[in-house]
Amino acid sequence: MKILLVILLFTGLFVLPLAVLVFYTVAPGWTYPQLLPPAVSGRSLEFLARRRTEVLVSLASSFTYSALTVACTLGICLLPASVFARHEFRGRRFLESLALAPALVPAITFSVGIHFLFIKVGLADRLAGVVLVLTVYSYPYMLRALVAGFLAFGPEHDLCARNLGAGPLRRVIRVELPLLLPAVAAGGTVVFLVSFSEYFLVFLIGGGAVPSYTGYLFPFLNSSDRSVASLLTMVFLAVPVLLFLCVDLLVAAAYRRRGMLEGRG
Amino acid sequence: MKQGAALALKLSPLAVPLGAVFFTGILMAVMQSLGLLLPPPAGAPGPAGGSTGAGAGPLGAYRALFAGAWFLQDLGFSLYCAFTSAVLSVAAGTMLAYLVWRSPRRFQQVAILSKIPLILPHIAVAFIVLMLFGATGYLSSVARALGIIGSSSDFPRILYGGGAGIILAYIYKETPFTMLLVTAVLKRFDFRRVDTALMLGAGRLTVFFRVVCPHLVPVLHTTFIILFLYSFGAFDIPFMLGESRPAMLSVQVYDLYFRRDLANRPQAMAILVLMFLFSILFIFLYTRMSERLDIAGRRV
Repeated sequence: MKILLVILLFTGLFVLPLAVLVFYTVAPGWTYPQLLPPAVSGRSLEFLARRRTEVLVSLASSFTYSALTVACTLGICLLPASVFARHEFRGRRFLESLALAPALVPAITFSVGIHFLFIKVGLADRLAGVVLVLTVYSYPYMLRALVAGFLAFGPEHDLCARNLGAGPLRRVIRVELPLLLPAVAAGGTVVFLVSFSEYFLVFLIGGGAVPSYTGYLFPFLNSSDRSVASLLTMVFLAVPVLLFLCVDLLVAAAYRRRGMLEGRG
Repeated sequence: MKQGAALALKLSPLAVPLGAVFFTGILMAVMQSLGLLLPPPAGAPGPAGGSTGAGAGPLGAYRALFAGAWFLQDLGFSLYCAFTSAVLSVAAGTMLAYLVWRSPRRFQQVAILSKIPLILPHIAVAFIVLMLFGATGYLSSVARALGIIGSSSDFPRILYGGGAGIILAYIYKETPFTMLLVTAVLKRFDFRRVDTALMLGAGRLTVFFRVVCPHLVPVLHTTFIILFLYSFGAFDIPFMLGESRPAMLSVQVYDLYFRRDLANRPQAMAILVLMFLFSILFIFLYTRMSERLDIAGRRV
C-alpha cells in the first residue's frame, strides 16, 4: 500500500508534467479550458519535418560545444585532481575550495565582465569563446568526480608501472585513465548536461552567432504555439538520454574487454 | 622544494579557468562598476563626455543603487525566492530519497523517474510551470471543470507577483538534485540501525529525525548552499517567467546592461560585484556556522 503511494507520488510529481508535454505535442488544437486533447494531429511533427535543417544545425552545434567542453574540462582537471587526491600540503583545502568557486558563485557575476573582454580579444560570438566560458562554469564538476576517482584506487598502480619503466605519458594513458573511466564518465555526463542545457552563457558569449538548441527553443517557449514548443522540448530530452545510454554501454563494454584481458593473463 | 614546484606545475592548468576567466571577469566587473575601462559612448566620442547617470565619484554607481528603493526590493525578492525554493527543495528531496530508500529494493527503480527534471533545461522547466500554473494553464482547466472557478480570471495569479512561479520551477528542478546527493549518503548508511531503533520501540518520526537525519546533516548543508546560491543568481528561469517588479537581480542586471544605454553599465556591474561579495560572504559564514552547530551537536 505504502509502495503504491510512493509510486503514485513519483509519477504525479515527475511524469505528469511531462505527460502534458506529450499531449500538447500530439494535439495542437488543445486549448483552455479543455481537460483532454480534442483530436490528435501530426501538425507539430510536420513542422519539425519542415524545419529539420535548422533543428539539426542547432542540435549539432550544441552537441559540438558541449562535447568540446567535456574534453577541455578533462584536460584541465586531470593533473590537479591527482594532486588534490594524492598529496597533502599547506593550503590544500583552501585551494580545493577555491577551485570549486566557479560552480558555486552565480555565473552571471563573472560572465558579464568577461564578455566585455572577449569582445576585445575576439572571442565573443565564436565557438572557442563559448567553450571557454562553459569550461569555466562546469569544470568543478569534473574536478570533484576525478578527485573521487583518484581516491577510489591507491597510488600503487602508478608506482608499479613506474618501477616497470613506463614513462609519465604512458602511465596516464595506459594505467590511470582506464582506472578513472567511471569517474570520467560521471563527471563528463554532468559537464555535458550542464553545457547542453545552458541558455544564458551561450546566448551572452555566443551572441546568436553560435547556434544553440536552447537559443533555438527559447522563442518557441515564449510563443503561443504550445504544441511546437512541447515537441521541441521532447526532442531536447532525447539527446542526453541517447547519449547516456551510449556512455553506459561503452563503459560496460570497456570493462568487459579488460576483464577478458585480465582473465587471459 | 623541488616537489613543491612540481605540484605547482601540476596545478597550473587550473590557472586558465580560475585566473584568466573567473577572477578576470570579476575584476572587470569591479573596474566598470567604478567607472573605469568603460567602452566609449557610441554617440559622443572624445574626453569631454563626463558621464553622469551613475552619479559623481568612483563610488557613484553604488551610491545610486542604494539611493533608490528598487535595488533593495529586488535584493529582498531574490533572497526570498532563493531561500524558499532551496529550503523546500531540500526538504522534499530528502523526504523522497528517504521514502525510496525505505522501499523494497525492486521498487527503488521508481526513483529513475526523478531524473527527468535533471535532464530538462531550466527554460523548459519554466515552460512546464507556465503550462501547468498559468491563468489558462492545465490546473486552471481542471479547476474550471470541477466548478471551483468560473473563468480563467478567477484562477489565482500564481505566476505574476510574489515569485511563486519562479519558486515552483526551482523546486521541480532542484528536488531531484537533492535526492541524488542524499541517496548517495543513504546508500552508505547501515539499514540495521533503523531496524535496531524500531526494535527498541522508536516511532517512525523518531527513527528519521534521531537516527537517520544526523548523518544527513552535512550533505543537507552542502545542498542548501549550492541550491540557494544558484537560485539567487541564475538567469534562465526568472527571464522566462519574467516578473518585472520586483525582479530577480540577474534579470535586472541584464536589463541595465543590454536594454538601456551605456550610462547604466556601472550600476549593472555594481550589482554583480555586490552579488559576488554576498555569495562569498554567505559561503564563509554558513560553513563557519554549520561547523559550529555540528560541534555543539556532538557534545550533547
